[in-house]
Amino acid sequence: MPDLARKILCSVLTAGTALATLSMAPARADEPSAELLARGEYVATAGDCIACHTRPGGKPFAGGLSMTTPMGNVISTNITPDPDHGIGKYTEQEFEQSVRHGIRRDGSRLYPAMPYVSYSGMTDEDVKALYAWLMHDVKPVAEIPPATELNFPANLRITMAVWNLVAGSTTPETGDSATFDKLRRGRYLAHALEHCGTCHTPRNMMLTEKEGSYLAGASLLGWYAPDITPSKTGGIGNWTEDNLVAYLRTGHVNGLSQAAGPMGEVVEHSTSHLTDADLHALAAYILQVPAMDDDVDHTPREQFGQVLNTPDIRTGELTRIDRLDEMDGQHVYDANCAACHGDNGAGTDDHYAPSLFHNGVVGSARPDNLIMTVLHGVDRTAGNEHAFMPGFDQKSDVQRLSNAEIASVVNYVMTTFGSGNHNVTAEQVGTMRSGEATKVP
Amino acid sequence: MPSEQDLSADVVIVGSGVAGSSIANELARAGISVIVLEAGPRVDRQHFVENFRNLENKPSYQGPFPSVPWAIHPPNQMTPNDYLHTTGPDAEAYQQVYLRMMGGTTWHWAGCAWRYLPSDFELKTRYGQGRDWAVKYEDLEPFYYQAEVMMGVCGPDPAVEDLGSPRRQPYPMEALPISYAAQQFRKLVSEKTPYRVVHEPQARNTRPYDNRPTCEGHNNCMPICPIGAMYNGSYSVYHAEAAGAHFVPNAVVYKIERDSANKRVTAVHYYDPDKGSHRVTGKYFVIAAHCIETAKLLLVSADEQSPDGIANSSGHVGRNMMDHTGVQVTFISGDKALWPGRGPLETNVIDNFRDGTWRNERGAYLVHMVDDNQVDLATSLAISKGYVGRELEEQIRYLASHTVRLFSHNEGLADPDNRLTLSQTHKDVLGIPHPEVYYKLPEYTVKSCEHTRGLFRELIGLMHGTDEQWTPGYFPQDHPAGSTIMGTDPRDSVVDGFCRTHDHENLFIASSAVFSSVGTGNITLTVAALALRVADTLKKELAHA
Repeated sequence: MPDLARKILCSVLTAGTALATLSMAPARADEPSAELLARGEYVATAGDCIACHTRPGGKPFAGGLSMTTPMGNVISTNITPDPDHGIGKYTEQEFEQSVRHGIRRDGSRLYPAMPYVSYSGMTDEDVKALYAWLMHDVKPVAEIPPATELNFPANLRITMAVWNLVAGSTTPETGDSATFDKLRRGRYLAHALEHCGTCHTPRNMMLTEKEGSYLAGASLLGWYAPDITPSKTGGIGNWTEDNLVAYLRTGHVNGLSQAAGPMGEVVEHSTSHLTDADLHALAAYILQVPAMDDDVDHTPREQFGQVLNTPDIRTGELTRIDRLDEMDGQHVYDANCAACHGDNGAGTDDHYAPSLFHNGVVGSARPDNLIMTVLHGVDRTAGNEHAFMPGFDQKSDVQRLSNAEIASVVNYVMTTFGSGNHNVTAEQVGTMRSGEATKVP
Repeated sequence: MPSEQDLSADVVIVGSGVAGSSIANELARAGISVIVLEAGPRVDRQHFVENFRNLENKPSYQGPFPSVPWAIHPPNQMTPNDYLHTTGPDAEAYQQVYLRMMGGTTWHWAGCAWRYLPSDFELKTRYGQGRDWAVKYEDLEPFYYQAEVMMGVCGPDPAVEDLGSPRRQPYPMEALPISYAAQQFRKLVSEKTPYRVVHEPQARNTRPYDNRPTCEGHNNCMPICPIGAMYNGSYSVYHAEAAGAHFVPNAVVYKIERDSANKRVTAVHYYDPDKGSHRVTGKYFVIAAHCIETAKLLLVSADEQSPDGIANSSGHVGRNMMDHTGVQVTFISGDKALWPGRGPLETNVIDNFRDGTWRNERGAYLVHMVDDNQVDLATSLAISKGYVGRELEEQIRYLASHTVRLFSHNEGLADPDNRLTLSQTHKDVLGIPHPEVYYKLPEYTVKSCEHTRGLFRELIGLMHGTDEQWTPGYFPQDHPAGSTIMGTDPRDSVVDGFCRTHDHENLFIASSAVFSSVGTGNITLTVAALALRVADTLKKELAHA
């Protein structure tokens, strides 16, 4: 599955660099220490640069991922150290300006798809380490991704300067981030590196993160990044620190939830690689931010549902193979879902296929993530586990479901195992399907 | 209804199974225009899964796939059946089943993806029996690998378990884990006999592959894999369509038109379900319609220019019908419980008799220990023994966990007398005659089957088996081959080593119909490899055209 991710906000470091011909000779750091490089690699992982700066099937960090934003499609740039196609000519200072302040080497503004507002909180030392690693250990790639074309007025980069005034920036942390105490380290990870708020904090009219609603939940690209504040009703207030650590490390905690779509990518590329101490710091920090109740989820999402004693729906009647009538939700479930999730919804004994009751996705009052999961499946590798569920969209080789079939199976699953019937319509599914279809490069 | 200009392409393919769809995919990806004509309907998995769940007779492989009237397929392996009529001394051993629908018969196969042995291609030269192919193992090796990647084949590391077919690359996926039943069987065979049990190469995912999930061991590969972990031709159909190939369902080809010199095919004609006739033109034509239907089509197309049928100057179209006609036994092991039925159906094979000097007088064979759920059989056995109530339940539990099923693929041999002809008495709703096959098991195969029975008795003895139930006579394996046999001499063969018909320079056949010998491994991977080689030939010729 192509990257869908938090990408609302990742993007263009250097589109147009190749045109900047009046440049100084590439300024390279002196041979950096192994320690600095290791830290830089870790910072890049925690900041999840690769997620946006690599297109599906593309070379690492060579850019080219197309991301849908409300302003148009933004295409991520090449941040390999190639001098003509990447950031090879950037000095460390120029690099710092783009990562923390959104100002390119040629003085123009980056689109805010690049989460520089978050990255502005990075320490000097971590920026230095990131620069050293990108310049030293990433293989230069001589490819220029296509240029971003946004709608007016966002297509004028000057507009971004105004946006910046609104968006502002965070004051960088100071000192050695490795020596921070647990909560400070957790805050640093959550804000400056993992940029959790980029997806999980709702945005105001200017597309900046709403103050006072940190991590209260927001939509992106069809998915819903839920309330992950410690609210006991709308958030994850019933999760323990260990639960959240396990989720971030593996992408799945039985009886709570599992990650797919953009969050699956975050787990795969970033959080599954964090140290145990960092995961605990991050989890501890998130579990103590101000609790925000949710507008629609009033009961903990993971508390819904129970095992189903399935009524026997066998008829002994066969369908002729040229008369493929659309099936109702229960039969779509029986034919496409029950083989793995069980006709009782309990999943497999080893939880490889999760139970559908006591499942945050099915228990949400928002059907968005269940619809998106049925359309696009799950494809998440963390450690040695490759969690995979096929999608059922128009590209599926396993089964292509119609909008009406997806609507009916989502309604069946949410009614039977989750928060109730939300009367999803075929039109709703169609909107989400086509939104995705246009977004994939 | 397609318009006339839609009905012309560089390459026209008849049949959308693994052979036709994989050729279509290769060609479309190379920018070549392709039309694929499929006699049966377009179908999807979920309806088959529901049919399977509603089916009372679960082991009925054809059960979930009822025919459509204009493209009948055999309903089952019973004699006589309503479509594939068989005659001769071993008529019951040739009741093959197959499917006519988009994606073909791999909707219900067990995913066994064997390469043939180098010796299988040189049976005449090495053992003085049967025929040689007009292609050697080395010629096919790259296409075997291409087919394995296309289908997603898992198999053992050759350094640990050499299956006798040399490989340049490892299998695309690691071998399947061994089920509990198979572990017990392996242990017994390795400790108490001179033989070995090997991993069967399988077109089945042992990790997520090609956007399809890992096998979960549902144990109903046949009749339908419910999750898409096993390869079937529908994936190649989807991939070919994404690359631009045009598939026409419900298009029953009934005529092959040639130029006045009878050297080149100019068009094929098909009926839609209402018997409206359509003409499809092209530069090249590939018949990839399964061994039975391919020969039937060539014979049905007979006209004044070719009174014996198309591509049939040799008279060998429809002859040399082969199979892996085998023997089968079930029994109750007196040893520890095996609990078969967990994991894929067919994963373990005794391969000691796939080749040997004795092939100069008797055919080779391989033995499957079938890992299928035995509750059905156990229940009928327990009831027949008169158990009731709690004892019945206990007996079912005991018998289901101790039942062993063995069957063999025994090597057939090309015999021109084993022949497919057009039925004189039966026609389908479109007026097309049903196929009819005369079959007498070759002595070579009879001797092989006798040897197999001896091995089975040995194994039954070692397992202290009781309640033996031998399938009467011989057991059809649904691996028909030979009906348009390959050879170098146009006088006694239908296609050359590239599967091009000797008679018509732009007509190819992609099917087990071209096999010159049938070896012992399941035929599908070799069908796919030959098909990919046809695609390679067509790409080269169209590039030069």
